Parts: sequence; C-alpha cells; structure tokens
Amino acid sequence: MIADARSVQAGSPRLQALVEIAARVTIEPWTMSRHMLKRWYEAGLSADDVLHAVALSAYFGHLNRIADAVGVPLDYEVRTLPPHADPMEPAWPEAPKSLSGRAALELTSRPATANALNDWRNYMFHRDAPLTRRQRTVIARHVAVWLGDGGISPPDDLTINPLDDALRMLAHEVTLAPWRLSDASFATLREAGFDDAALFDVCATATSAGVFSRIAVAFTALGQGRASSVDAGIGVS
Amino acid sequence: MALAIIGYEASRGQLRDTYDKMRERPLPPVYRPSHGGSPGIITAHSLDPALIPRVFMTSSTLNGAGPLAWAERELVNATTSRLNQCFY
Repeated sequence: MIADARSVQAGSPRLQALVEIAARVTIEPWTMSRHMLKRWYEAGLSADDVLHAVALSAYFGHLNRIADAVGVPLDYEVRTLPPHADPMEPAWPEAPKSLSGRAALELTSRPATANALNDWRNYMFHRDAPLTRRQRTVIARHVAVWLGDGGISPPDDLTINPLDDALRMLAHEVTLAPWRLSDASFATLREAGFDDAALFDVCATATSAGVFSRIAVAFTALGQGRASSVDAGIGVS
Repeated sequence: MALAIIGYEASRGQLRDTYDKMRERPLPPVYRPSHGGSPGIITAHSLDPALIPRVFMTSSTLNGAGPLAWAERELVNATTSRLNQCFY
C-alpha cells in the first residue's frame, strides 16, 4: 500500500513520472504544462504512455468515488486492515480559472477508449430519469468549473433553485472530497424525495463528468506554458 | 452505510443479465474475488445496471491494454486510490 502518494519514490524516472501524472490528474490537472510533458518524455514516457496514464487515473477516480458512495465492502481477505479515510483531510482545491486552447494530446489516438468514453457520456447525459437532463447539465457544468474545464459552459446562465443547490453540494463532495461521502451527504436530497437510485445518479453524473473533465483539462494544460518554464514538482503547489 | 448495493443473489431482470454478462468477460484470476460472486466494484454500480457495461468497457480499453505495462497501470491506479483515500 502506498502510504503517501505525494512523496512516493517510485524507483525509476519513468515510474516516478507515472506517479506524478496520477497525482496531478487526481488533485489539480490544470497545473500540468508543456514543460512537464517534456520532462516526462525525457523520463522515458511516450505521448501514448502519458495519454494512457491520464485516462487511466481519471477513470480510476470514478471507481474510487462510486465505491465511496455505496460503501462497498472489501472483496478479499487481507492480513492488514486498510486505514480508514480521514474525513478531516482538506478537500482538493478548485481550479483558479478555466482552461481552453489547443490540446497537446487527443483521445483519437486511442480509438477504443474514445469510443467507450463517448458511449458512457451519451448514456449519462442524454436521458431524463432519475435525474432530468437539466439537472445533469447543472452538475456537469459545476464539475467543469471546479476542475478548470473551459470546454464546457459555466453554470452562470442557469437559474439555480434550492434543489439545484443541493445537487451542487453533493457533486462538490463527490468531486473534491469523496472520502467524506456518508449518509449525511445524502440527507438534504433524501428529504427532497430522492431515493437511492436517484442519489446514485447524482453521484454517477458528477463522477462521470469528472472523468471527462479531468482528461480534457489535463490534455489542454499539457499544451500550455513554455517548455522551458520551471514547475513545482509533484504534489500540491 | 450510504446507498444500496444489490448483490448477485438478490438481482433480477436487467441487473441479473448484466452480472451474468460481466462474469463471461475474460478476467485474470488475480482479479476474481474469493467469495465467488461479482466483484464489489461491479455490484457498487447496481443501482444503474445500464451504466455497468459502459464503465467496464472503458476499463477494458484502459486496464486490459497497453502501452503501459500491467505493473505500471497498477501503479497509476494505486496512486490515484491512495490520494482519493479509497481503501477498497
């Protein structure tokens, strides 16, 4: 088990680069830059390797969040029980601004993944039950802002009602502090009449939006900044 | 705690069909849970059966293929899980 992923010494520059990519995708994808991409190439990763690691980490973040939302039990017997999540751990930061511009990497170079993600996205955002399409849009636009995804319209032009606000609060926890998910996270929406399937839909909409936005933000951020600029290294800067 | 999980034995209809199809997928023995049922991360999606094939098709394209080696993919996944404080 990795005790502190932000300070992992992974054994080789290539593995260290993979740890850094996963950490940045998970915490602050907007901090990636052209300089980092160059450094990861020098560590032995190809563009396809970087793309794979970004998509994999974004995808695995979905599994983490769904597991937290339903409190899934362990599948395996383990010799050492895993630690409990610390609810006091600060939430991930929100992006200071939204990124737009030409992406350094494109999923088109990985067509099977691109097709699977498109199918997932179409399913998630083009239906009206349990959540309405409008509610899905509200959630996705907020998630995009928190992650710095300038490719999706911000929610500013939506008239937000109290129910939208409750959706936003749950989506915020799912996106930026999933380890805090508990019965209390669902209380407001339960009182508003949401059953378990509807609450799951809120979580799944938020975490799906997060997968797509994390990938988009990372690919865009990797095309920005000067290749020679100094970056802060791994972790929260 | 939290939201409901409908396991294999309690599943009916679309969910049961989905679980059965997921069992037919090629899966390395190391990923097959010793309890013999559906892996918890699949049953975790039980409240939305139609989402399951979408999510795990994506998984197949990322966790079942290169260019990153198996151990490298596990490193990315473990780092992501640890940072998210997910200990499943």
